[in-house]
Amino acid sequence: MARRIPFQILSKAIAPRAFGALLLIVLGALLSGCVSFQSIRIVEGREIADPGDTLEVGRTTLGQVLSLLGAPDKLVELQGKDLLVYERMVLDEKRLSLGIPVADIWGARIDFSSYGTLIRYDTLALFFSPNGVLQDMVLEKGSIQPFLKVLFTEM
Amino acid sequence: MKASGCIIILVVTALSAGCLVMGKNKECQPFDSGELERLVPGRTTASEVSGIFGSPRQVVKMSNGNAYIYKRSVAKGTALWLLIVSLGNYDKQSDQVVFFFDNNDILTHYGASLDADKASYGLPF
Repeated sequence: MARRIPFQILSKAIAPRAFGALLLIVLGALLSGCVSFQSIRIVEGREIADPGDTLEVGRTTLGQVLSLLGAPDKLVELQGKDLLVYERMVLDEKRLSLGIPVADIWGARIDFSSYGTLIRYDTLALFFSPNGVLQDMVLEKGSIQPFLKVLFTEM
Repeated sequence: MKASGCIIILVVTALSAGCLVMGKNKECQPFDSGELERLVPGRTTASEVSGIFGSPRQVVKMSNGNAYIYKRSVAKGTALWLLIVSLGNYDKQSDQVVFFFDNNDILTHYGASLDADKASYGLPF
């Protein structure tokens, strides 16, 4: 016949850290549905590396750029120049919700939630003359900007 | 029910409440990037490129001719729910080939980025 261990002896027998972890799991189970944290990340496109000195305005050709960076994500003709754009999009969303579902017994619902969504772009824009020579280039690395700092900065 | 029994039920419920979802989306354009070796800039024509790779996804007017764009993509999504925390990650990567033609529809340049197989499952950090 199996011997039953009283709860007090069991709680003393397990290490305090394990008991803390157990407490967290129990609290999590009790709070699920009332408190939630959500984190979402969406990435579209490959990493845009800084071309550094490998591209030289007035000398680098379209063929060299295509063999170095591959196919661009966007192509546009702009006032007689050809614009090649390499782009990567990174979306980050964080959401925190606190709610107590007392609508059935009280008539009101206590609910607090906040969220922030930030879309950042890494963009390399290259302008070429009609004869295929690089005329200008612009690199913007949006993804290195910190999430909270950018989110709370006024435009 | 005794306290130990309640805790066991809560722990089992909490641990079994987690859920993992993995999904995959594909935008397919059936071109064979291995055929790129058959192309010769300065000789291959736009109609030959269309014959090999099929109809382009997009045609763009450039300053000195046209560009044909072929594109396909793979996206992999992961979602994980653990008690009060839910995490989602979506990674979309593409294979893209761009051909540049002059005003006589002769291939001048082409570029290829083959990254679709780099799309991966993961967590948002």
